[in-house]
Amino acid sequence: MTAPSGSVSRRLRRLRDDFDHSFAEPARSHDEQHLELLTIRAGGRPYAIRLSQSSGVHPDRPVTPLPGPLPALLGLAGFAGAVVPVYDLAALLGHPVAEVPRWLVLAAGAPQLGLAFHELDGHVRATTDDLIRETGEDGSDGGHGRGGTLRGLVDLPGGSRPIIDIPATRALVHALTGHAQTTDEGDAP
Amino acid sequence: MGERDPLRYFRIEAKELVDQISAGVLDLDQQPGADVVARLLRFAHTLKGAARVVKQPEIADRAHEFEEVLVPHRDEAVPALPADQMRELLRLNDEISAYVDSLSAPAAEPAPPSAPAAPEHVRTVPLNAPDTQAQVDQAHEDAELARGADAASDRPERAATADLDELLDAISEASARIAPLRDGNRTLGRLHRKVETLGERMRVGRTTVSDATARTSVRRLAGELGALGRRLTDAVDQVERELDEVRGRAEGLRLVPAGSIFTALRRAVRDAADAEGKRVRFQATGADVRMGPNLLNLISGAFLHVVRNAVVHGIEPEEQRVAAGKPAEGTVGVHVERRGRYAEFRCVDDGRGFDLAALRRTAEERGLLAPGVNPGPQGLIDLVLHGGISTAPGVTEVAGRGIGMDVARDVALQLGGEVTIANRPGQGATVRLVVPLTLLSMNGLIVESGGTTVTMPLDAVRRCVRLAADEMAAATASARLAHEREVLPFLPLAQALQAVPAEAEPRSGVAVVLAADRDTVAIGVDRLAGISTLVARPLPDLAPAAPVIASVSIDLDGNPRLVLDAHGLVAEARQESSTARGDTSASAKPRMPILVVDDSLTTRMLERSILESAGYEVDLAASGEEGLERARSREYGLYLSDIDMPGIDGFTFVARAKADPQLAHVPAILVSSRASAEDKRRGTEAGAAAYVIKGEFNQEELLAHIRRLIL
Repeated sequence: MTAPSGSVSRRLRRLRDDFDHSFAEPARSHDEQHLELLTIRAGGRPYAIRLSQSSGVHPDRPVTPLPGPLPALLGLAGFAGAVVPVYDLAALLGHPVAEVPRWLVLAAGAPQLGLAFHELDGHVRATTDDLIRETGEDGSDGGHGRGGTLRGLVDLPGGSRPIIDIPATRALVHALTGHAQTTDEGDAP
Repeated sequence: MGERDPLRYFRIEAKELVDQISAGVLDLDQQPGADVVARLLRFAHTLKGAARVVKQPEIADRAHEFEEVLVPHRDEAVPALPADQMRELLRLNDEISAYVDSLSAPAAEPAPPSAPAAPEHVRTVPLNAPDTQAQVDQAHEDAELARGADAASDRPERAATADLDELLDAISEASARIAPLRDGNRTLGRLHRKVETLGERMRVGRTTVSDATARTSVRRLAGELGALGRRLTDAVDQVERELDEVRGRAEGLRLVPAGSIFTALRRAVRDAADAEGKRVRFQATGADVRMGPNLLNLISGAFLHVVRNAVVHGIEPEEQRVAAGKPAEGTVGVHVERRGRYAEFRCVDDGRGFDLAALRRTAEERGLLAPGVNPGPQGLIDLVLHGGISTAPGVTEVAGRGIGMDVARDVALQLGGEVTIANRPGQGATVRLVVPLTLLSMNGLIVESGGTTVTMPLDAVRRCVRLAADEMAAATASARLAHEREVLPFLPLAQALQAVPAEAEPRSGVAVVLAADRDTVAIGVDRLAGISTLVARPLPDLAPAAPVIASVSIDLDGNPRLVLDAHGLVAEARQESSTARGDTSASAKPRMPILVVDDSLTTRMLERSILESAGYEVDLAASGEEGLERARSREYGLYLSDIDMPGIDGFTFVARAKADPQLAHVPAILVSSRASAEDKRRGTEAGAAAYVIKGEFNQEELLAHIRRLIL
């Protein structure tokens, strides 16, 4: 106990301040390298969807069938008073199955668009190291899959999964319906 | 409390009185009558009194002057006001209206020194004092105008009381339906006690209760439970229906009747006629069609120009009219009608029609038309819509026709609709503005078919006929139904909805007889599930649907419910029926669809109806760009394209399709009002297989080309 008591209390105060301060700071983005993904199955095949490109996931939402020219259009679903068209993801990806999809993910952006898939496997966090062939992120390349709907693969336990690019899928729907593409696609990261 | 805003109630009352005065002045102008004068005096007097109370001398003084003008005519059987007095009334009316409007400006006006005036000093006249208004209401058109005036007072401050009353009625009705549920609850309690007693008896002294009694008790209980269950289901059904009704009515309150713009239009007609020294009568129908206030505002703005134009350019001076054998007084009518998911606003006049020679001269002067080219009458009229040409020798104070048409076209564009003009030289002209409705209140007939529940527009339903299982089967097989000594095309709804048939065995059902487009058909459904008021909204973007679907509404559970289109159903039933009768030779083999590319909604619809009645499946594109996009997304048997379109034109569309290896094999027909040999040559060069001139549009010729190319 050689140090003067004043210095102890000063040290204590500093420690306490540091401790308090650590709460005030925003969470460090140590997981900058991470990617939030939904792992799903559409038409029996495994895929992944970036959570950031969606605005909600819903099970068992009633869909009113809408007769029309597009077989991929399952119908309309109600969301808080809004009417949202729902497309069969498997059909959009080019492998339609007879089974009615149970899950529905709302695509980010406008106009509202729901994409239906058959099974939800889970929610995983992948590191960028798990991504294979991240082409197209710089806008240079076409993705693969029908209409460029697939962009990259992610390596996960249980095998690698193609990542469905929601903005590209939206663009495909816009093209199918002859609806002019709005330019706000860029805001989905 | 009243001290805080002394004008609070005055604003509401004054607005209502001004609306009534405005309509009354116009009534007086067209059908002078002692009752109209009396009515106006009463309104003006009430307004004067009220204005004095709240210290609004500007309004009070003008209301007084208004009275002064009218008082000398009070006792005349048919009041005859000289034109200058009439103008004076209109001027006062406008000034009062302006003052009253300025009162309700959103800026909260500084409260004037609190009014000490004791209200009991003021003699007020009750607004709804009985009067001889019956005479006025006799004429149908007057009733319509009156509804318009009533509607004009549907300001948010005082939503139409009738609507509110209906809403309240619907709510009471829904609450009344709760009672059976409560009864059911009591019955359930009673049954519960019985079961417990029975159970108790069985537990303590199994032997004391003979099997037979126990069985009877149990059977009785089962019967009662069954009955209760049915009662509860019925009650819940009814509550649900009533709540649906409440919802629909409440949503409807957001909408405004079209009649609310009639007074302003009528006034515009009056003012224009006055300025031109003409006598013009205003007629209006469709006051009850309800739609969103924003839409109506925009249309009202455009139609002010349209009706003024009709008076200034359309209606001839009196002597010319008389010489032409027409009534001296001209007529301008505004008619509002709901057509499926569109609202149609028509302005019809009985004037001279468009001056085609003058149009042609102006167009040539402006270089819009090469000299010597004859675009045909409709082509010239189209120039008015697209080129901003006016037939007026000079732009008058009231109207320059070109400008009015530009405004109408802009509004149509903004609302996603279309303007068309039908010209009847010497007989008059009709300007038609068709806009899609965003929200629309309607009465619907709820029907069930093939497991789905949809709504049919009730105003198109003529009647419903119950069909036994064998009748249903016969009608389905022949696609025809005999009804009231007439054979109607018959279409099972499940088929129109492309629903998967659940079972093959025929069942009884109902034929709903629908009328639209001067045609009547019967639609087969499984059962009727009631009538409800609903608010239909347009289908969302990204949801292309079959033409039988008009719009969508939201049911009680928040799920979308489809609203059918009467016109689409009629067309579909006609087509299916003729196909079933073997009218179309190629019905057995599915033919490739046809893509129609045209920027005009009318032409698209016309071509579609021609092609569909000939048994073709048709897709539509509104521009060359959209056409190419569609062409790449589906395999077509033929493209039918207009030439003059915004964006790439028809020549480019055909040339680009021909340059695309995937599309090159599809034949293309150009349809245009351009008739020159040069254009035909350009069409051939671009790769068009045929060239049809719109002016000499011949259905058979077109179909002959198509049959040759597509089969």
